[in-house]
Amino acid sequence: MIDITEADFSIDEVVKKARSGDVGAIVTFLGTVRNDDIKSMELEAYKEVAISELERMRDEAVSRFHLRSVDIIHRIGSLSIGDNIVLIVCAAGHRKEAFDGCSYIIEELKVRVPIWKKEIKDDGHRWVNGQ
Amino acid sequence: MIIRIRGFASFREILGKEITMELKDGSNMNDLLNVLSASNQKLRDAAFDESGGLREYVMLMKNRKRIDSPEGLLAELQDGDEIAIFPPVAGG
Repeated sequence: MIDITEADFSIDEVVKKARSGDVGAIVTFLGTVRNDDIKSMELEAYKEVAISELERMRDEAVSRFHLRSVDIIHRIGSLSIGDNIVLIVCAAGHRKEAFDGCSYIIEELKVRVPIWKKEIKDDGHRWVNGQ
Repeated sequence: MIIRIRGFASFREILGKEITMELKDGSNMNDLLNVLSASNQKLRDAAFDESGGLREYVMLMKNRKRIDSPEGLLAELQDGDEIAIFPPVAGG
C-alpha cells in the first residue's frame, strides 16, 4: 500500500499483510515527531506527485533489492510530539535485502518526495529545511 | 491562456494554495514568474536573488514534472498547464 493520509496507521495491520510463505524478513521504519523545542508539526504534500514518486521508489526498491512487498504510508496534517509521521515496511526472503531496501526508501523519500514540515513553536514557526 | 499555479509550503503561504492566471499566448515560465512577482514583493524576495536570478532552491514543476533546465524555463506554456512552485522537500 502506498498512501499519504491525515489518518494514523496501524503498524501491526501493515506488517500482517506483508507476511507470506516466501518472506523471511520484514523490516519496518517508523518516523515520529521529535521534540526539538516544538509544540507541534504541520505537514503538507503535493499529493498527486508524492504518490507517483513513492510508487516509483517502491518499484525501484522491489527490483533492486528483490523485495516481496513494500508499503509506505506518510501522514500529513497537524501532528503532536511522538505521533507517527511515516511507516515503511519492506518484506524480503532474507534480512539483508529487507534492511537495504528500507534504508534506500527512507533516504530517497527525504530528497525526492514533495512533502514539507513546519515546526510550530511558542514564539512562531519555521519550515524545516529540505536536503 | 489560463495557467493554474499551485504553491506549497512557504510558497503556499505567499501565493495561496491555488490560483489561476491569464497569460498572453506564447508566454513561458520566466514570463509567468515575472508577472507573478511584479505584484508580489514577498514572492519576488523568495524566488529571486538581488541580481534577479532565480534562487537555486526554488523548485518548479510543469504538469507534475520538474523543470530544472534553462530550456524548461523558456518552453512555451500551454492553456491549462499546471505549474507548481515550492522549496526543497523535507518529508520523512
